[in-house]
Amino acid sequence: MDGYTISVLSNIGLFAFLAISAWILLIAGEISFGQQAYFAIGAYSGGIATAVWQWPFAAGVVIAVALGAAVGALVAWPTMRLSGLHYAIATLAFAELTRASLNVFTYRRDIEGFATGPDGANGFGDIRWVYEAGIEPGAYLAIIAGCLGAVIGLVALMSYGRGMARLRIVGEDPILAAMQGLSVTRTKIAAASLAGGIAALGGALYAHLATYIEPAQFSVMTGVHALAYGLIGGLGTVLGPILGVLIDIGLLESLRVFAGYRMIVFGGLVVLVLIVRPRGLLDEPTMRRVQAWLRR
Amino acid sequence: MLTLENLSKHFGGVHAVDGVSLTIHEGEIFGLIGPNGSGKSTTVNLITGLYAPTTGTVTLDGYDLTAMAQHERTAMGVARTFQNIRLFGNLTVAQNLWVAQNGHEQRRAHFLPRWFKAGGEHSPDIDELLKFSRLHSKRDLPASALSFGEMRRLEMARALASNPRVLLLDEPAAGASLEDGQLLAERIRDVRDRGVTVLLIEHMMELVMGISDRIAVLNFGRKIAEGSPAEVQANSDVRAAYLGSKHKDEELIHA
Ligand SMILES: Nc1ncnc2c1ncn2[C@@H]1O[C@H](COP(=O)(O)OP(=O)(O)OP(=O)(O)O)[C@@H](O)[C@H]1O
Ligand SMILES: [Mg+2]
Repeated sequence: MDGYTISVLSNIGLFAFLAISAWILLIAGEISFGQQAYFAIGAYSGGIATAVWQWPFAAGVVIAVALGAAVGALVAWPTMRLSGLHYAIATLAFAELTRASLNVFTYRRDIEGFATGPDGANGFGDIRWVYEAGIEPGAYLAIIAGCLGAVIGLVALMSYGRGMARLRIVGEDPILAAMQGLSVTRTKIAAASLAGGIAALGGALYAHLATYIEPAQFSVMTGVHALAYGLIGGLGTVLGPILGVLIDIGLLESLRVFAGYRMIVFGGLVVLVLIVRPRGLLDEPTMRRVQAWLRR
Repeated sequence: MLTLENLSKHFGGVHAVDGVSLTIHEGEIFGLIGPNGSGKSTTVNLITGLYAPTTGTVTLDGYDLTAMAQHERTAMGVARTFQNIRLFGNLTVAQNLWVAQNGHEQRRAHFLPRWFKAGGEHSPDIDELLKFSRLHSKRDLPASALSFGEMRRLEMARALASNPRVLLLDEPAAGASLEDGQLLAERIRDVRDRGVTVLLIEHMMELVMGISDRIAVLNFGRKIAEGSPAEVQANSDVRAAYLGSKHKDEELIHA
């Protein structure tokens, strides 16, 4: 594989975490414009752990996921009582608050003679653990793919069990779910925590690939894209949001034909899919047909 | 068994239910009728806890349900169907029943089993319910793929899956033919014979008059009559209430 292909595939993989994160909340019936905040939390905490505290990479990833999951649950607790538009706006506000906070967040330490760590709006550079360990881009792509595989496996396990059914039930009709004794609040908090952890995992992996991060990278547009990936890819399977990323980054961004028009083409595509297939390309009926066909 | 005392629900100036008192006895089929907008569905919503009453109480066997959440009332043995069918369209028929049967247990279970343990929708109870509702051949179809009549049957099966003591049916025959109504009547009697008390809201007069032990009539949120089907049909207030809509009046006379 040449360097360009590796970098495109790495990008697709990293965005897939963010897209799956927004998709999980969509399944639970919530529209979040703020998952990029967890991506940022993962990127910053993972980066601080390895670059400032000099922890091993794996520990940095673990702390990022734990922090993302914890913040997700914490933010969900008061906001889950909001519904629809109000919830969407609350997520947006939280994400912007996070970005604004990172703009003034400075935490630097002297590492081998250099001041290292987040420096407000100037960003956070020298997150170089992966390079210093001599991990090649191809190998790092394998790490990204492995982590993404683990997330997909987790969702598959939840689909095999009752977790996904719970999310779908609460997403489809919370009143009916509550009547039947499912705790809507707890389910939604769990979903938000899971979504936060997954986005933070992507963020930590991103920070170590990019080596330099800054608050401006985690803007609302990033969150809107993450949400759109699940909506066009489909709500019927966890592969839906990944398909969305493939379409946007794999096709539109990488095919130079669309250069300059990518946002217009992508926006038009989202509108078209939402009109023709409100629950995305790989929606629930499609997935049921695929499953029936596979069982034959 | 199920007692409503001075139950009211006001939506702003609309007195949807206004000081209704009723007692439904164990093992009976109790009809609740009234013209459109007379407060029948609102009464059901008050009994199941979807709405909090403006005044009054709901008690089941002496236990005050008024302050309980919906799922607590479900656990106490109150189950319902909805006038506008409410199912989990993306879940299969069997899964819809499984949720109803296990929802309240899920709440208590440990975190991991609750999210990752499979199975459950193949229990003998669910098979039996599917047979009872003539939905056995559809068990693995998504609920959204069912016909209207099948959806109504699934709703009733779901209500039964929570093993209720009182079943509240809000217009289970709406949109059904007369023959379907007859089949439904049989099923409602079967349910009663299994020991479930039934509150039946219905516009199809043949059905309510035919199978109810007693009937109460609501008009503008107030109870205007209560008694046996014959007594209710003979009541002049009831006739006057139904005169508002001519065709309903004919239904009442011909039933
Ligand atoms: N959530 C609500 N908000 C405001 N008004 C309501 C609400 N629910 C019911 N109402 C009003 O309360 C009154 C009683 O409604 P309800 O649905 O209980 O009547 P019903 O007897 O079930 O009628 P139908 O035979 O048409 O089903 C109506 O005037 C209705 O408009
Ligand atoms: Mg009604």
